[in-house]
Amino acid sequence: MVWTGGATLAVAIILIVLVGSDVPLAVMSFLKGIFGSTYALSEVVVRATPLMLAGLGVSVGFKTGFTNLGAEGQIYAGAIAMSATAMLFPSLPAPLMIPLVIVVGFVAGGAWALLPGILKARFAISEVIMTIMLNYVAINMTGVLVRTALKDPSYPYPMSPMLSNTSDFVQLFPPTRIHGGIILALLALLAVHVLLFRSRLGFEMRAVGLNSRACACSGIAVNRALIISAIVGGGLAGLAGVSEIAGLHHRLIEGISSGFGYVAIIVALLGKNNPVGIVFASLGIAALQVGSMAMQRTAKVPTSIASIIMGTLILLLVIRDAKRSVSMPEGGA
Amino acid sequence: MTRLRMRNISKSFFGSYANHEVCLDVDSAEIHALLGENGAGKTTLMNILYGIYRKDGGTITIDGEEVDFKSPKEAIARSVGMVHQHFTLVPTLTVQQNITLGLKDAGYPCSRERQRCAHIARLATSYGWKIDPSALVRELSVGEMQRVEILKLLYRNARVLIFDEPTAVLTMQESAQLFEMFKLLKAQGCSIIVITHHIQEVLEHCDRVTVLRDGKSIGTERIADVDAKRLSSLMIGRDLVPVARERDRKGSGETILELAGYGFARSGTKRGSVDLSLDRSEIVGIAGVDGNGQKELLETLMGLRDHVSGNAFFKGKDISMLSTAQRRTMGISYISDDRHHDSLVLDMGAAQNMMLRPGALCETVTHHLIDRRKMHRLAAEAVESYGIKTQGISEPMRFLSGGNQQKLVLARELAGRPDLIIAFQPTRGLDIGATEFIHHTLLRMRDAGSATLLVSTNLEEILLLSDRIAVMHEGMITGIIDNDSPDIMRIGLMMAGIDCQGEKT
Repeated sequence: MVWTGGATLAVAIILIVLVGSDVPLAVMSFLKGIFGSTYALSEVVVRATPLMLAGLGVSVGFKTGFTNLGAEGQIYAGAIAMSATAMLFPSLPAPLMIPLVIVVGFVAGGAWALLPGILKARFAISEVIMTIMLNYVAINMTGVLVRTALKDPSYPYPMSPMLSNTSDFVQLFPPTRIHGGIILALLALLAVHVLLFRSRLGFEMRAVGLNSRACACSGIAVNRALIISAIVGGGLAGLAGVSEIAGLHHRLIEGISSGFGYVAIIVALLGKNNPVGIVFASLGIAALQVGSMAMQRTAKVPTSIASIIMGTLILLLVIRDAKRSVSMPEGGA
Repeated sequence: MTRLRMRNISKSFFGSYANHEVCLDVDSAEIHALLGENGAGKTTLMNILYGIYRKDGGTITIDGEEVDFKSPKEAIARSVGMVHQHFTLVPTLTVQQNITLGLKDAGYPCSRERQRCAHIARLATSYGWKIDPSALVRELSVGEMQRVEILKLLYRNARVLIFDEPTAVLTMQESAQLFEMFKLLKAQGCSIIVITHHIQEVLEHCDRVTVLRDGKSIGTERIADVDAKRLSSLMIGRDLVPVARERDRKGSGETILELAGYGFARSGTKRGSVDLSLDRSEIVGIAGVDGNGQKELLETLMGLRDHVSGNAFFKGKDISMLSTAQRRTMGISYISDDRHHDSLVLDMGAAQNMMLRPGALCETVTHHLIDRRKMHRLAAEAVESYGIKTQGISEPMRFLSGGNQQKLVLARELAGRPDLIIAFQPTRGLDIGATEFIHHTLLRMRDAGSATLLVSTNLEEILLLSDRIAVMHEGMITGIIDNDSPDIMRIGLMMAGIDCQGEKT
């Protein structure tokens, strides 16, 4: 971990020098952007919320050997379903509306992952490509919908009307933007932990992820575990979409997710697919992104640097894990 | 004239000998068989010759000159070539591209495809084969692919050709054609080494045979001087005597498993079909040379492969269409020969591996949640009663020795005393202590009333444990005999597919 962190830091500093910025100023503005004020810190939490939910979703897939790279699309699916529901039943009171949009968002995200899940389970078709391609479908479907069926007729812009405020998640600590989505994320975290580590189904899912052949020989329903993990993982990513709309935007617009679904993959990897690890990973990545935005404002370092750092970090982590698994001793033959 | 001379070749893996002072002489213009059971060291010896493994000791001379190949490339340069059991062809490339893969001919990097094709066509015609050099390899039959493999060696001027179990993937007809090819190659002065465990092939097609057993060379004989009986006794070992054990009971008359024309798919288009019945408190051993359909039969019985025809009755019920989970829940257990892939999740601990069974059999689950205290207690009991050496029930199975891993598999599979135990090479790769423990455990289960179908390529194990012995050859049971006074010679012959006059039941 030490040399991975060190190498990443070195890459970051080299990049800052290369773009011609003052390194101490950049580092200071980065840190201030994260820890400088209560508001700055709260923004980290706001950003971590969708990452936590989507990262959790990705990790459930990874644990079962379902390489779900489609969290981005599942976020959009959840957001579309949630917005459409809120527009369809605008007069529903909040105690009914909130659970409804959560369920609908989960189902939509799950459905978005279901097709790749079924195709992998039944025909061994690569879920990697399927889930990535479905991202484009969902993203562009959003674009179509905010210009047609879900468009706000009173504005010329491609977006839906403001949703009924009964569908809004509560603001927890105004004036900060922290909203009820974080509670949803923490509850989901707990639920996933119980599912994966306390339930029979979760045991089957993890066992399938580690050795599906042995599971088949032992009479464990491999396909069922795979499909359920696809649904649950997609559903959690769908909740991230719900949380972004209900907590922040309150209407469906293009680009509600600025790549959260992809960053979620990094979160899952960094958090080692462990619910607790994902809390820290999502907060860390969110801090990196929030800090880099401050760095751009003050030190004129482009925010792209955050993406480069994340990429470097993942590369180094993958190399490290590969080295470790190569040197892993085998049990006696 | 002796072309190849291997003297006192030794090679050990992890402290145990795969080859121990093995000697092999091969003449030019000769078809030489390398005969032995699985694990006798045949393939290891040839991999050493071909430069895949480095020998620990001994000398290899080719045409009187000492060689020490560090890679197959060097072997090919000295005209030694090998056709592996699993072909090393690129299916999406053409025949010509496969044959010339990695070669730099004149004018490199501009390859002269037409010239190459013409050369290959000429080469093929000189052996009387028709082959289209521009055909894609994936569109060829298995027999044709093998010809491409051979052409690949001939194109590189190989004079010593090694074949690892060449007929394993071929039909009878294709095998016959292959041996015709060998005769042509021999007429051209090539030396051919055939790795095999099929005695009949050796007798029909080879000139001389060297028998390997337990990593040692037992002897070299001219085919004219030996018969099937002598070869099988050389191969299996003369010192093999059935171990006396008390047989207080054998079978109770209650049929547990009944296979009626139970057909299953084997590699390629091959099929197997088995009739067999198994009583309570009985161990039926299926003897046979590896690769005669044993694995396919057992996996079909467990519902891991689709069955083709016939029926399997378990306690009177037809199970041939049930899922693996249903079969297991009814009381069938399976001990695979490949515990790492089929039986265990190596990254999980003993406690979790004990739970690797259908949900209905898992006692540690209440309301879908895992009762962790009970899970730990059951695992601790299993570790205790099976004497499994582990740092703790959470230590990943990966770090346990093979014997301890297998003991855990037994602890899980035998929990709740299944009515039928399907055991496939249950002691494969284990040391003597663990082997004895597992034999003892299987006999104990028999006395407790389980029926056991034991499949092993180790005849000694079959003789030791079985009440009745069925011999399997080419997917069929060639005979079933009582294990009271077994005629080992006859079992050996039946394993080779020669004697079929056993009393069929």
